[in-house]
Amino acid sequence: MLTKKLQPVQSFLSLVSRSVGHFPRQHYDVIVVGGGHAGTEAAAAAARLGAETLLITQKIHTIGALSCNPSLGGVGKGHLVREVDALDGLCGRAGDWAGISFSILNRRKGPAVWGPRAQLDRQRYREFMQSELLSTPRLTVMEGSVEELLVTDPNPEQPGQHRVNGICLANSSHPISASSVVLTTGTFLSGSLFIGQTTSPGGRIGDAPSSAGLSHTLRERLGLKVGRLRTGTPPRIVKDSVDLSLATLNPPDSSPTPFSFMNTHTRCRPEEQLPCYLTYTTPGVERVVRESLHLNCHIQQDAKGPRYCPSIESRVLRFPGRRHQVWLEPEGLTSDLLYPQGLSMTMPPDVQLRLIREIPPLHKAEIHMPGYGVQYDFVCPTQLSPSLQVKSTQGLFLAGQINGTTGYEEAAAQGLWAGVNAGRRALSKPPVALSRTESYIGVLIDDLVSRGVTEPYRMFTSRAEFRTSLRPDNADLRLTLKGRFELGCVSSSRHQKAVRVKNSLQDALAALQALSLSTTSWKRKIPDVHVSEANSNMLSGIEMLQYKDVSFQVLASIFPEVLLPFMEFSQRLKIEAVYRPHCESNKREIQRIQEEENMSLPEDIDYLSLPVSLSQEVREVLHRARPSTLGAATRLEGITPAAVVNLFNYVCFAEKRKKTSHGNQRRQKEGREEELCASLPQ
Amino acid sequence: MFRPSSIHRGVCRAVIRGLWTNRRTSLHRLLSTYGGVQGGLADADTIFALSSGYGRCGVAVVRVSGPASATALRSMAGHRLPPPRTALLRSITDPLSGEMLDRGLVLWFPAPHSFTGEDSVEFHIHGGPAVITAVLQALGSVPGTRPAEAGEFTRRAFQAGKLDLTEVEGLGDLIHAETEAQRRQALRQMSGELGHIYRDWSHKLKRCLAHIEAFIDFSEDELIEDGVLDQADRSVCDLQSQIEQHLRDERRGERLRSGVHVVIAGATNAGKSSLLNTLCQRPAAIVSPIAGTTRDIVETAVDIGGFPVLLSDTAGLRESADLVEQEGVRRARERVQQADLTLLVVDSTCLPSDVQRAAGFLSEHLRSVSPSQKQPATDMCLLVLNKSDLLPETQRQKLKMELRGVSGLPAVCLLSCQTNEGLKDFLTVLQSSVKTLCGDPLAGAPTLTQARHRAHLQQCVAALSQFQRYRDSDLALAAEGVRLALTSLGRITGRVGAEEILDIIFKDFCIGK
Repeated sequence: MLTKKLQPVQSFLSLVSRSVGHFPRQHYDVIVVGGGHAGTEAAAAAARLGAETLLITQKIHTIGALSCNPSLGGVGKGHLVREVDALDGLCGRAGDWAGISFSILNRRKGPAVWGPRAQLDRQRYREFMQSELLSTPRLTVMEGSVEELLVTDPNPEQPGQHRVNGICLANSSHPISASSVVLTTGTFLSGSLFIGQTTSPGGRIGDAPSSAGLSHTLRERLGLKVGRLRTGTPPRIVKDSVDLSLATLNPPDSSPTPFSFMNTHTRCRPEEQLPCYLTYTTPGVERVVRESLHLNCHIQQDAKGPRYCPSIESRVLRFPGRRHQVWLEPEGLTSDLLYPQGLSMTMPPDVQLRLIREIPPLHKAEIHMPGYGVQYDFVCPTQLSPSLQVKSTQGLFLAGQINGTTGYEEAAAQGLWAGVNAGRRALSKPPVALSRTESYIGVLIDDLVSRGVTEPYRMFTSRAEFRTSLRPDNADLRLTLKGRFELGCVSSSRHQKAVRVKNSLQDALAALQALSLSTTSWKRKIPDVHVSEANSNMLSGIEMLQYKDVSFQVLASIFPEVLLPFMEFSQRLKIEAVYRPHCESNKREIQRIQEEENMSLPEDIDYLSLPVSLSQEVREVLHRARPSTLGAATRLEGITPAAVVNLFNYVCFAEKRKKTSHGNQRRQKEGREEELCASLPQ
Repeated sequence: MFRPSSIHRGVCRAVIRGLWTNRRTSLHRLLSTYGGVQGGLADADTIFALSSGYGRCGVAVVRVSGPASATALRSMAGHRLPPPRTALLRSITDPLSGEMLDRGLVLWFPAPHSFTGEDSVEFHIHGGPAVITAVLQALGSVPGTRPAEAGEFTRRAFQAGKLDLTEVEGLGDLIHAETEAQRRQALRQMSGELGHIYRDWSHKLKRCLAHIEAFIDFSEDELIEDGVLDQADRSVCDLQSQIEQHLRDERRGERLRSGVHVVIAGATNAGKSSLLNTLCQRPAAIVSPIAGTTRDIVETAVDIGGFPVLLSDTAGLRESADLVEQEGVRRARERVQQADLTLLVVDSTCLPSDVQRAAGFLSEHLRSVSPSQKQPATDMCLLVLNKSDLLPETQRQKLKMELRGVSGLPAVCLLSCQTNEGLKDFLTVLQSSVKTLCGDPLAGAPTLTQARHRAHLQQCVAALSQFQRYRDSDLALAAEGVRLALTSLGRITGRVGAEEILDIIFKDFCIGK
């Protein structure tokens, strides 16, 4: 069944009245600034947790807007969508509601790297997000522009430790206080737009950048290290002006696979789906790019753009003489526009038109809106703790492009995680962790906070060490149960469903394990499968299922009384059976990493004076990076094994040290310090 | 007799054990990241190693620890296990051929009453290198055993809670020493033929993995043709057969030079080659009054106090316009970096007559020898003040008296290669340094390194066959095989991270979505 809300989406009028009609409260548990992919997930997650939440956005009707490509998911990104969904986030269900063309990428390459992906209807995606947020209990949505963050002066006991108290809106004298604030400014933080030689302030075409006061607070008051990144978007093209007969048709899957574990089908019926089209650049495209370089400000800037999502300019300059793919993607079921994926460009509009007309299906194409480039500030994410809270400012959380990432899915994943942590902090619940060994979200967060970014960060499956365990098919088993009891962001209905799935899979695997037959008997029952002769022992049903040509259906037809009840899980069971041995062998390494991650290093540690035997180089590395766990410390460059052992000793004795100091409160301060040093390994 | 100190220690130990119970496993695992073999092999492995020092000795002790210890003992020294912790004289035979290798004492320590807390066995055998190698090889053929990583016995003891606090604190130093010894050994291998081969394999495998990962992460939207995979197929096949052949033919490749590496270094015309000739008692290197006579490394194997030493004479360190000499100086510095012990030869007539200034001169000199411009550790260096016969007697006495025990300076020996004056004292100092180094089984024990490399290479081959097995059915599992292979090889050549693979991907492909 689809989501509970099949009724028409509320009108914008009612939305506005809900938020602006009565004066907002003076205090919230959590304030989320920004209504993009990170902001919506953050606000929804905090509210699910039970926190009284306020979402502030410039315009309510742009909540859930897809600023760039009209699609969701893909290889690596699809993994993130499934995980956000498993934690009861919005984007998976929104994708199922708005999708108009579903396909699983990498279908032939093994289920661990399958990439669920969909083309989206922009209108429907916005509708879903807005209606979902506006019907979420404990969540208030308000239009406004945040002028300033309210932060306390640093605590004299702990220099550099600020605390966020709330926000101040532009054109309003009333500050709104909050225990936690989540900033999801996207490309809006000191954003500027580039077309040709003109530059204008803004985060998206038609939308103003965030206020200068916010930038100022982050940089000057809080002293955060800020960098600059760039991205871009292609022109939108009038569909009727395109000769699609000159492009290659690329049909979607005949049976759409939903993103969400809660859905069995998508809103769009299989036969309603729209295809994409594939075409290629020509030498003429390269010529136009070269001729117009002097008219192109954005490409000449040195802010870093993504290597894997480059503009057409950087593609032809870096790989000249080649043809490059261009995908023509539908923008919606009823939209009369096409989105040319791969043609992100920033030259003047007239040159853009000349360029696209060098591509055969577009030789008479009209541009509805030209492409443009965006440059924006990001906060170097090594200044965040793994909860995405700014280390030097209690209660301030950052998520999405502000942390140097690119992509809707990466933003959504961070938004959810920041929302969970902001909510937990506001409700005085202990912080929680999500390991890179159990989720792509964990990989994303760990990469960001412990390594930082040099270019916009995008998820790839190759970033995950335990790729065979972190599959899109098992995201619910990995995360939903944890999400319910440890994190508190999962509803009871989703939890119940996950428990049922988990139990059924367990029962089915036990039943398969119990089906133990000799090789000869199996051969008699499944004659066309080549069972290895060398294995004269008994083979279980699980082992048989590991054979390439043996499906669960085949086994179920032989043992209907035992296996038929599990038919709805046939695909998942096949995957489980094949991957099980590999996941088992991963387990020890996973356990090691998790133990390292469990050993946290105190945030206020002064590495330069720590009474532990460490070389000056190691001290400086640790001082700069301030790893939050011993695991993160071991991954730093320049950390020696001996240093790890000594840090380990320190971590272990830190607890003892605390007890000693509490027990001796009446002693002289000096005396106590002497004792502390003595209890540490020198 | 009542001994309070032992009770105190007992209490301490109990407290510490309690404190560490939850943590020690984690540290053990954590250390295994650096240990090398461990991450790839099961914890339940049985390990063995020569526990006594390397070099000529009467009795050598080979230790075995782990669940297969009893099997190893039974298959090599008679079917019946000896009574626990009792030395028995037994014939020690090869488990496969039944050939007798030696007669020696065997001891059986069932868990938990052993150094490591695991089942363990000790073989006390004759100290010749042939016997030791034969016994180590025989142990390697017992199923479930492998050569121990340096320090692994200590780590297991730690894991079992058999170490007290001071010993635990010493673990950091141990690891430091190990990594230093491993670093020196790795540097030696990596500058040789073997290192070249390993690096080449690692490079090929990295590219291979990058191409497979690119195909997985990008092929649906990008112009990455299936041809990329064919290339990977061929590379994997080639690599597999190359490594297999390397494993089959043990004589191929480089024979690791064994013994303690002692390097003679210093300024030109200080008398380095004379010292070499004096030490090996034959004119191995050309000696002349012309500065810069020695241009390349002159190597010679000598026996110092019964320990095998590889002595290298190097080009004198000076700025030179001569290209050949420049290269000689570069090689000399590289040698110093790889050395277990450096003999820094100084022309004593060049020393300032004031002793305080002489000490400063010497430490300056020490720094200039090291490629990193840092003073080498004092126990890895000896200062040899040559040409003492040219100094007036009063100056000689002053130097002898006052340069002894200056803090921050290594041991100083005053001698003359011309008259052999002071040579005896120098040899005593040299011998004791070499002995200390040899007492540490890490210093140049080639059999252990080779065995470790074999284990990694075997894992690498096994992992590559996982690629073949899944190539057509599941590319994710196939890629996992290449990842594992690269990890195994990386344990010899250094770790490879995801970012490095991504860099290759972006360099090689025009990724655009």
